[in-house]
Amino acid sequence: MYRLDAEKAVSFCDGMRRRDFLHAGALTFLGLSLPDLFALRAKGAVNTEKDINCIFLMLVGGPSQLDCWDMKPNAPAEIRGPYKPIKTNVSGIEISEIFPRTAKHADKFALVRSLYHTAAAVHDTGHQMMQTGRLFQGGIEQPHVGCVLGKLRGPRGDVPPHVLLPRPIGNTGGNMPHGQNAGYLGKQFDPFVLNSDPSAPDFKVPDMLPPEYISAMRVDRRRRLREIVDSSVKGFEATADARLLDDNFHQAYTLMSSVKMREAFDLGKENDAMKDRYGHNRFGMSCLLARRMIERGVRFVTVNMFETVFNEITWDIHGSAPFSPISCYRDLVGPMFDNAYASLLEDLHDRGLLKNTLVVATGEFGRTPKINPAGGRDHWPQCWSMIFAGGGIKGGQAVGSSDEIGAYPKDRPATPAEVAATIMEALGIDLETELPGLQGRPIRVVDHGVDPISELF
Amino acid sequence: MTNNHLNIKLAVIIVIFTAATAFHTIERSSAAAATYTIINSPSTIITLDTTKPAGEITVPAGGWSFRNHVIPVLTRLGCNSGACHGAAAGKNGFKLTLRGYDPELDYTVLSRQSLGRRINKIEPARSLFLLKPTMAIAHGGGKRLDVNSLEYKVIVEWIASGMVAPAESDPHITHLEVMPKAARLKAGAEQQLKVLAQYSDSHAEDVTRWVKYSASDSSIATVDDNGKVKMHGNGETAISVWYLSQVSFARVANPYPNMISAEVFTKSPRRNFIDALVIKKLQTLKIAPSEQCSDREFIRRAFLDATGTLPSPQEVEKFLAETALDKRARLIDELLSSEDYVDYWTNRWSDLFLVSSAKIGETAMWSFYNWIRESVAANRPWDKMVREIITANGNTLENGAANYYVMHKEVTDLTENASMAFLGMSITCARCHNHPLEKWTQKQYYRMANLYARIGMKNGTRGGDVQIYTNPVGEVNHPRLGKPLPPTPLDGEALPLDSPIDRREHLAEWLTSPKNSYFAKALVNRVWKNFMGRGLVEAVDDMRATNPPSNEELLDGLTKDFVDHGFDIKGLIRLIMNSAAYQRSSKPNQTNSQDEKYYSRYLIKRLPAEAILDAISQVTGVPTEFPGQPAGIRALQIPDSRVNSYFLTIFGKPPRIITCECERSSEPSVTQALHIINGETINQKLRAPSGIVDTFVKLGVSDEMMINHLYLAALSRHPSKVEVNRLISAMNVTGEGTNQAARRQAIEDLVWAVLTSKEFLFNH
Repeated sequence: MYRLDAEKAVSFCDGMRRRDFLHAGALTFLGLSLPDLFALRAKGAVNTEKDINCIFLMLVGGPSQLDCWDMKPNAPAEIRGPYKPIKTNVSGIEISEIFPRTAKHADKFALVRSLYHTAAAVHDTGHQMMQTGRLFQGGIEQPHVGCVLGKLRGPRGDVPPHVLLPRPIGNTGGNMPHGQNAGYLGKQFDPFVLNSDPSAPDFKVPDMLPPEYISAMRVDRRRRLREIVDSSVKGFEATADARLLDDNFHQAYTLMSSVKMREAFDLGKENDAMKDRYGHNRFGMSCLLARRMIERGVRFVTVNMFETVFNEITWDIHGSAPFSPISCYRDLVGPMFDNAYASLLEDLHDRGLLKNTLVVATGEFGRTPKINPAGGRDHWPQCWSMIFAGGGIKGGQAVGSSDEIGAYPKDRPATPAEVAATIMEALGIDLETELPGLQGRPIRVVDHGVDPISELF
Repeated sequence: MTNNHLNIKLAVIIVIFTAATAFHTIERSSAAAATYTIINSPSTIITLDTTKPAGEITVPAGGWSFRNHVIPVLTRLGCNSGACHGAAAGKNGFKLTLRGYDPELDYTVLSRQSLGRRINKIEPARSLFLLKPTMAIAHGGGKRLDVNSLEYKVIVEWIASGMVAPAESDPHITHLEVMPKAARLKAGAEQQLKVLAQYSDSHAEDVTRWVKYSASDSSIATVDDNGKVKMHGNGETAISVWYLSQVSFARVANPYPNMISAEVFTKSPRRNFIDALVIKKLQTLKIAPSEQCSDREFIRRAFLDATGTLPSPQEVEKFLAETALDKRARLIDELLSSEDYVDYWTNRWSDLFLVSSAKIGETAMWSFYNWIRESVAANRPWDKMVREIITANGNTLENGAANYYVMHKEVTDLTENASMAFLGMSITCARCHNHPLEKWTQKQYYRMANLYARIGMKNGTRGGDVQIYTNPVGEVNHPRLGKPLPPTPLDGEALPLDSPIDRREHLAEWLTSPKNSYFAKALVNRVWKNFMGRGLVEAVDDMRATNPPSNEELLDGLTKDFVDHGFDIKGLIRLIMNSAAYQRSSKPNQTNSQDEKYYSRYLIKRLPAEAILDAISQVTGVPTEFPGQPAGIRALQIPDSRVNSYFLTIFGKPPRIITCECERSSEPSVTQALHIINGETINQKLRAPSGIVDTFVKLGVSDEMMINHLYLAALSRHPSKVEVNRLISAMNVTGEGTNQAARRQAIEDLVWAVLTSKEFLFNH
């Protein structure tokens, strides 16, 4: 067991005496000092009245609009698919029978059924656009909306502003994915990435604490010695990766000294009944962790439901290996989502957190209206649905609709850029805010003329 | 040349531009100026009138052509884009090929489908094809076309003149010319580009208004849909253009606002042709190169870049003491003939060829690995090595190279991964449609794929033993045409379908030919990046005409030299390592701290995962054990990607699943920092009963000697007096130096600090 206090008072090189390196917490975290924050507030970029958090559930693989949120029971069998609609607790809104628990919370969430994007029908493009509002092009790495929030608001206390659970999205067919980090904002605004499976029986955040044989005094002495060794290579700071290494050490020490973060990651504090409610799987436990993060001051949590679409059962129901069959929605993926999502809404609501926590769930595209010869559905960015809840969202409604076979938006078509604008609006970020791009070129958080989906508020 | 359908002004421009070299520079200082001065080396000055809008197009003599005018119009208007009728399923029953990759099919769809309603030959203006996009009747895509536009005129006149179908005898586009080819612009200045399409019948057309433009670095310059470039920052970027599956680019530059005397460049050392070309670029962009690095910096850098290992304290001391003028060149030769060199480069090529037991099993994996290792040890020329893979036959346990085919059973995998590995080029897009950024078409893709159609495979008697042979028959069909196309390596010669020549021989012939500009370039670029920290083309797996190198002359020069020397990899490495450019200090000066593209200083880089772990083992004197691997093996010597090591995984050792340099990550992360601070890897080595800490304690080594040894072993240099004093006082901060356990802890902490420092983790 790691002890928070050293065996005795130790003197530090700056002449101060402290009982514990844990108190050496810095005023700055992730490179953002308090004056910066004040300056941002003064400029009006940050609305301090509206201090909203966000949990962003990335449903990797691309859930089928026709089998989840936008049922077409009157369409021919090869369109409507195997599942039936069920009533929710809001009259007039029906969703798929694969989400019985979620159906009890329709008053809390709003569906958007008319999403589309026009980029290539591959996973990467949707991942990029849903998380940044923009497509990766021109060599510019766009920042994830959670990183934008981190940049504009800084951390609350000693917890990082943006945490990514459980792992980044890996290879989904194209090149390595973009849009999951701070991009041009600089790596110091990258999310804290868990990088381990919270449903593993021996789950703990790797290396969060020193081994028992290294006392707090030694941790501090090591830090000091390391600073001395590095004092001869100040020039390295011209290189982004070297600066990043420093930031990472700083962040690591801050995390080590953050009792709150350790608590947040300690799933041992949750009983089995609670874990069962969320579902004892990677996504369920990540959502439970997300709730624990928000309770302890993290502003933005991204949860990736899957890391890849290959050789794993996911939303990517092409019908044949290495992808998934449509039946997995009933057998595995649907219940996995239903349990975690419903529990998250219930807990946030019961704890009074839903009103200041936006919960967003979306895939990267929809799926072909017509079932393919393998019995699955292929990629279809022309139309899909997503869900918003909490954080000032007006629940109990469906915004936009699709045509009679769920192939194209019928009214109120909405783009990923508008989704990003909606999230920022909910988080209290002024959409006119300009971020410092490469070579100091200002880049607006969303392009001029892109508006939030106002019906949601 | 039949220029009668071009306006005369354009004809003049063509003559000027085709007669000149690529070094045209247009100086333009203000955005408002309507005339440019073209400085045509050496002294001719021509003034162009550009008050007329760019891209005036007049009706060509033979009338509008479906292939060469109607399709580009549809592409420009977005009709055949992926979001509209170019979608795989079309839109609202009307389906065009994506960006017009199949004009014949599009013609059929337009003229025959929907009972021919789409086109009205008698009254062209009443064609659905025109009524819809002009919103004369409802159109889901909104208004795309104005009746007074040139685009409207092209379509209506093409219909009126009898809707001539696309034919093989149509003039085919051969290449694009962008004007100006290069321009120098101040921040805020704008420059209109002009693009000429050249056709197979020798005529040319100004297609400026229909071209698709993009900037490779939009922080330096941006370009709008009409080809107007706007400069934003300092540096140089390419503006690429795409038209009818042809590509080209222009370069725009804005030199840094530095005042540097010419002497700085003339005096900068030149060791071989690399230096002349690097300096030339730096002078153009007004960036002064950093000084040459010291001997201690050089020895560490050279060891790590060439072999992935650290020099021992003895090697450092010996090298520093040497006085011979050619000692750096001699060290390079020694490194290139070391066993560590073989291990390191075998690991690099194993990444490239995806060596892993995951698909082929343990025995075959070793066979493949050993084949690569033997090739590196023998410095087998790159063309020979790749030829042996492409033409591999026989038993995979005896001929390791043949495993490449066992790992890539799908023809599409082979076509795409081999292009990536050997040409540094992704052609995946062309599997389903013409490449949107490149000249590769879907037909070219399937002609290429058909070269792999006749690979036979049968299982042998032992595990991992597969027999690879050439089938006498077998074809890969083009999925849309439903028939095989003559096997053709990208832009190489076609083989008739019934040719008795082994298709893989034909591919190998083209691939490794000195005339194949991609093959040698891709390798040169990969090796260059290993040493210089950034590819001349970046990313190294993104070689394409629209992603030009940061220093084209240099890449061409290196490539030519590499080919002239028989694809000699060691020779290439020797050349790079001996250059003054490689031996520059990593310390920036006042003018080059922003530069990461033109090699004005050595770019510092985090060591690869394996090198860090090996260096930690080496300095602490405690080897790392890898489960399932022979005892004493170093991380760089592990043949398989499947090795259970948390350290290697989080530090970015590539999993070898897809052929891409991007699989290897050298990006620092919080997870790495936490592992270094709290994890087992370093801490256990510090506590090990046989390691360096133990030795220090047992021998009672003084603080100063300890620090000196550590600095030599880990940082390849002596510490300064100040460093020694500061470290000693920080080590003994608790004043408990007398107690042996406390003493040991203080030493552990000192070693930890050295092994986690930036100076240690980075090559500089």
